[in-house]
Amino acid sequence: MSELPPDDLESPEEPGTPAVPAGAQTEGRRTHPLTALVQGGIWAGLGIVGLFNAFVNGDSFSLFSGVIAVAAAVAGGLLIGLIAGFLRWYFTRYFIDGTELRIESGVIFRTSRRIPYERLQSVDIDEPFLARLVKLSELHMEMAGGGESRSTLRFLPLDESRQLRRVLLARAHGAGADEAVAVAEEQREVITVVGPDRIIIGTLLSLDFLFAVAAIVTLLIVGFAVPDAWAVLGGIIPTGFWLVQIIGSRVIAQWNFTLSRGSRGLRIERGLLSRSSQTIPYERVQGIAVVEPFIWRKLGWQRLSVDIAGYGASADEENGVSDTTLLPISDPPLARAVAEELIAGSDPDSVERTPVSRRSWVFAPIGYRFRWVGASDRTFVAREGWISRHTDLVPHHKTQSVALRQGPLQRWRKVATIEVHTPPGPVNAEGRHLDALVAREIADQQIARAPH
Amino acid sequence: MSDLFTSPTGDWTAVSPRLATARRLIGVSCGGVLLLVGIVVTVLLWWWLGVPIAIVGIVIAAWVWWWAPRNRRSWGYTEGPEDFVVRGGIMFRRLVAVPYGRMQFVDVEAGPVARQFGFATVTLHTASTKTAAGIPGVPIDEANRLRNRLTELGDSGGAGV
Repeated sequence: MSELPPDDLESPEEPGTPAVPAGAQTEGRRTHPLTALVQGGIWAGLGIVGLFNAFVNGDSFSLFSGVIAVAAAVAGGLLIGLIAGFLRWYFTRYFIDGTELRIESGVIFRTSRRIPYERLQSVDIDEPFLARLVKLSELHMEMAGGGESRSTLRFLPLDESRQLRRVLLARAHGAGADEAVAVAEEQREVITVVGPDRIIIGTLLSLDFLFAVAAIVTLLIVGFAVPDAWAVLGGIIPTGFWLVQIIGSRVIAQWNFTLSRGSRGLRIERGLLSRSSQTIPYERVQGIAVVEPFIWRKLGWQRLSVDIAGYGASADEENGVSDTTLLPISDPPLARAVAEELIAGSDPDSVERTPVSRRSWVFAPIGYRFRWVGASDRTFVAREGWISRHTDLVPHHKTQSVALRQGPLQRWRKVATIEVHTPPGPVNAEGRHLDALVAREIADQQIARAPH
Repeated sequence: MSDLFTSPTGDWTAVSPRLATARRLIGVSCGGVLLLVGIVVTVLLWWWLGVPIAIVGIVIAAWVWWWAPRNRRSWGYTEGPEDFVVRGGIMFRRLVAVPYGRMQFVDVEAGPVARQFGFATVTLHTASTKTAAGIPGVPIDEANRLRNRLTELGDSGGAGV
């Protein structure tokens, strides 16, 4: 798949483009006028999905009332979206000055949100399908801390989003706020493109997909083979829905998954219908989780996810698509190289392993053999799982806190659990059921290694 | 408590004994109300419903009476040279060490009963939600001192996220 360069790897713009969109410094700049239309379209789409959900959940419609309901959902969604979108567009302006980006919005209650450049964690661009058709995009700005750490500008022309992202990222990293100088597109180098074929095969071989298919086949067989068991066929719809969701979140969202490297971090671009483009600054990576599902492991495939402060909170809302995936499917050498680039000295094979206590077999008769923790001079490593294998890597200088736990059963077996805490995300580094004294020793070592 | 949860600095600062008193008071009042309800139901309505309610009330009161001072003694914290260490729990024991530089903010919370008894819960927050280092029953003055001290240490050693 690598012969066709993904179309969203941006081509550098001609020199002489102004650094900041015209008018953004003084009187403020509006988002794109088509915002209202796109918003209307998205709401109409949501109306249909809602209706479909109602249908799946068993609300019955006759053909006639069904048509009416669909028409009402589309028209209502469109109308409300149009009005809301128009008002939002009319009242939203953004300003760029020397120290911050300011977004003023709100119809009745005016809000003015300030985004100081030095607090920016990352800037992402999303192109929802409908917006993408008219070349519009959303700009997300992530700040550290708090529940409302994410600000969004929707919708901007794609070029303007990219221009803004360049300016914001450059200033976030301390570039001078000289508006006259154009910020050049940084040179980026593609690390890998995970082709759709691989994503599809990987999805077909994942256990939950196989379960969903097996469930549907079983339902079909039971439904047709056993007389008077037609009712069972009703179960196919939710299972099918689940299947569609799996395909949607894995295949469609990760279509043409491109990982590239810039001077300040890695960039991920992905998506078939909706495209998204996010930046992962090197210094913001709090930990890496390596997952090797059962079947994948036989083929030597791995999935890499990262922990980034601020992302954990917003990972769920994006249609269930996790924006913490670093590499959806990868061969171990590449995964190793990427992990090494983000967290130095994190090779799980080179650390000295401390296996869990044999006495812990009561808690996990098979699994206890596969659990261990270890630490290099830079990184803490924890592994567990014999069906799906999880390896968590946490650099010592990102350790938030260290805990030692012991429940009554663990006391009986003279074992204890050690946890190395990271911000919310896919990484969950803990060594369960280590020998109690060893666990205390490791906990003390980890505390000593944490930053002071 | 066993060797496993010994203090890295050698000793633990204990929490207020009034924590146990307050918990006993709450436990005994709840148990007492249930006992009363049980007695009333037994006398006026059905004994088979009232007696179990009364027994539950007695058991709750007795258990809290036994548990509260033990749980109170299990809590302890200590200010190490570079990190703050909290331990607690009798059945499920836990020890958390938080480097000063990682502390994002410190909460001091006191409900109506706690205020009456003059203690508060101090909670340490880092960028990780799993840290969950809360210490119940810290005397109010000590809680404020602790908050100021930890905030100060967190600011000076701030490693950020």
